[in-house]
Amino acid sequence: MALQRLSFRLRQTVTHVRSLHTSSCGQQQAAEAVESEPEPLSVFRTRENDPACHSEQHMGQYYTLPSTHIRTLFPHGLPGRYQQQLKTFNEACMMVRKPSLEVISYLKKTDFSKPSLRYLFYGLNGTGKTMSLCHTVHYCYTQGWLVLHVPDAHIWMKNCKELMPSSYNDTRFDQPLQASEWLRNFRITNEPFLSKIKTKQRYVWTKRESTEEGSLLGQLVDQGISRVKSSSDVVGAVLKELRLQSGQPESDFRLAVAVDGVNGLWGRSTIKKKDKSPVESDELTLVYNLKKLLTKDWTGGAIITTLSQTGSLYTSKFDYLPQELLGERGFDSMDPFLPVSVPNYSEKEFESCYLYWMDRQWLQHPQSRTEEGKKEIIFLCNRNPSMMDRICASL
Amino acid sequence: MASHASKAFLSLGRIHVSGVGLQKSLSRATYATGVSTHTGGGNKGRPDRGGQRQGFLKKNRRTSGEPRTDKMKVDQDWTSVYPTATPFRPSTVPLPVRMGYPTKGGVPPGKKGNLELIKIPNFLHLTPVAIRKHCEALKSFCTAWPSALGTDAQCDEHFPVKVESTDYMSAAPSLRNPSARVVHLRVKLSSLNLDDHARKKMLNLVRDRYCKDTDILTITAERCPLRKQNHEYAMYLLTVLYHESWKTEAWEAEKTVADMEEYSWEESPSQKNILSMLVRMKVAGEGEDEEVREQLLGRKEVQEYKNSVTRLRNEGESESTILQYKEAVKKVLNL
Repeated sequence: MALQRLSFRLRQTVTHVRSLHTSSCGQQQAAEAVESEPEPLSVFRTRENDPACHSEQHMGQYYTLPSTHIRTLFPHGLPGRYQQQLKTFNEACMMVRKPSLEVISYLKKTDFSKPSLRYLFYGLNGTGKTMSLCHTVHYCYTQGWLVLHVPDAHIWMKNCKELMPSSYNDTRFDQPLQASEWLRNFRITNEPFLSKIKTKQRYVWTKRESTEEGSLLGQLVDQGISRVKSSSDVVGAVLKELRLQSGQPESDFRLAVAVDGVNGLWGRSTIKKKDKSPVESDELTLVYNLKKLLTKDWTGGAIITTLSQTGSLYTSKFDYLPQELLGERGFDSMDPFLPVSVPNYSEKEFESCYLYWMDRQWLQHPQSRTEEGKKEIIFLCNRNPSMMDRICASL
Repeated sequence: MASHASKAFLSLGRIHVSGVGLQKSLSRATYATGVSTHTGGGNKGRPDRGGQRQGFLKKNRRTSGEPRTDKMKVDQDWTSVYPTATPFRPSTVPLPVRMGYPTKGGVPPGKKGNLELIKIPNFLHLTPVAIRKHCEALKSFCTAWPSALGTDAQCDEHFPVKVESTDYMSAAPSLRNPSARVVHLRVKLSSLNLDDHARKKMLNLVRDRYCKDTDILTITAERCPLRKQNHEYAMYLLTVLYHESWKTEAWEAEKTVADMEEYSWEESPSQKNILSMLVRMKVAGEGEDEEVREQLLGRKEVQEYKNSVTRLRNEGESESTILQYKEAVKKVLNL
């Protein structure tokens, strides 16, 4: 099969080389044509690329994210396989699905003078919880919200290369590498806000270094990136500033907190102290501050989270319900939250995905294009999006 | 040769008794020569005697007729063929029974002259017909079943405590069976007079002896050597359990949330969360803290939310409980 595929690709490139000139001309013409008159619309695509305008009628259809959004909004937030697909297809298409639409409709109705609500995507492994989160986050981004995206809370609970005792509170531990990486991505995503928001408090990092009251948020973030040692505390300060300022009458931004794998925050960590005893989740500065942001009441925004079994520690493979994954403590601190179930593909969604991949020449095996082949794919993956992706990768 | 032979005869018994393995081939050879030499003459008594015995057997042998089973009628009264417990008799059982170790490539031996069938106990005298006859005969000695106990429910109501023990019968040298002493006592917990506290304490005391689905408490007593003692012990246990569960000890006041049998929403983190959230959302009007609290708790949505959380915690998580929780949250937060 691999050989077949290789030969197919070779053939493509050969034709491409031969008709390089003409094809580029054709592309140009096509591009012009798009601008002048709408191309015959495919069933599986929607021209509505603004998530704010998505409604029931777009359900199951793909919309295209501008590549600038991908670069700024998701420097680190997309799942690995989707990023590969982006590169392969050379476009970022995301399916409009019911769970994210539901949350977006709630966000539209929200009264921002009231405490921010917690939304929780849950569902079986590989049903698209992270993608639903990304869709919702994209909505927030296009609405001009400040997006505070933690792409995977589990990685803060494990594989810590450098663990330092905190300088601020010596019962806690800093994770400078993770913190500075997160700050860097935060800076990319929220460039415009960095110069607008001013700190309300004076922060002292060392004897000589401090951030004065009224300085810009950008300075605070830069401090964290340039002085890696204090980066964890800077993350804490950023979260605190945003929490205190959001929803206040003088500030003019909406805060979207998006946390993927939120159950990791209440789980056990595999990080060990020097005496080999495990580190509690509250002893990690990053996790402690993020938890505070999630559980404290603040106004003017929304908290959108997903559960995730993938990557979580000490959980069974088949757990997916909120209480199972969050645990008693996690459930009590998240409560009241709005659980949103993310199911497997429906018949329509499967059809749409199948057509899209056919259109992108992703399904090349002659059998996969037949009715029988389609049935076999359905049988093998049970319309589970991630499973379907894995199965169709070799077709 | 002859003397040698006679000597061999004299020593025949000794050889057989004392030394079977001693020079086997030699002794056998001498025996054979002895026989062959003496058949002609001299020792005449032995063949005669043998002949006499043969004739005697022939005279007294009765030819066995065809077995009784062949003469049996199809509609005969079986209870009179096998009125009591008797070992198996092949001639009276008209069944093609086989039993025993099968010959190689063959079948187990048939019933005739089969020792295996005689060894085992049989129930040929305990056919349904025989039992029916037995009951019929006993009926005149019985009294009528009380009409107040017509149904099982009525029996449960009037006799809530059920005691079960087993008698064992076997064809063995001893009639005693150690398992006969075991006594099971069963009682429906709802038939005992228990309040909420007593019931929970009882459940804690009996642990796995209580079946949640059937609401039945089973006490098994087997530590005493006699059934009567075990029965009394089981009754004693039931009495003690009942009175113990009605007592409230001083340390029971120290019961924490983690020790609770079921989730209680009152004073739980969930209640605290939702109240603080609703207060911040200013759903209720202004007023004293207590007043606002009472007002909030009295709301229909909050009650619904409470029910959903309690159900989620007590029944365990499933798609339906999560969905109920979601609907309740939507209503409470006015989405």
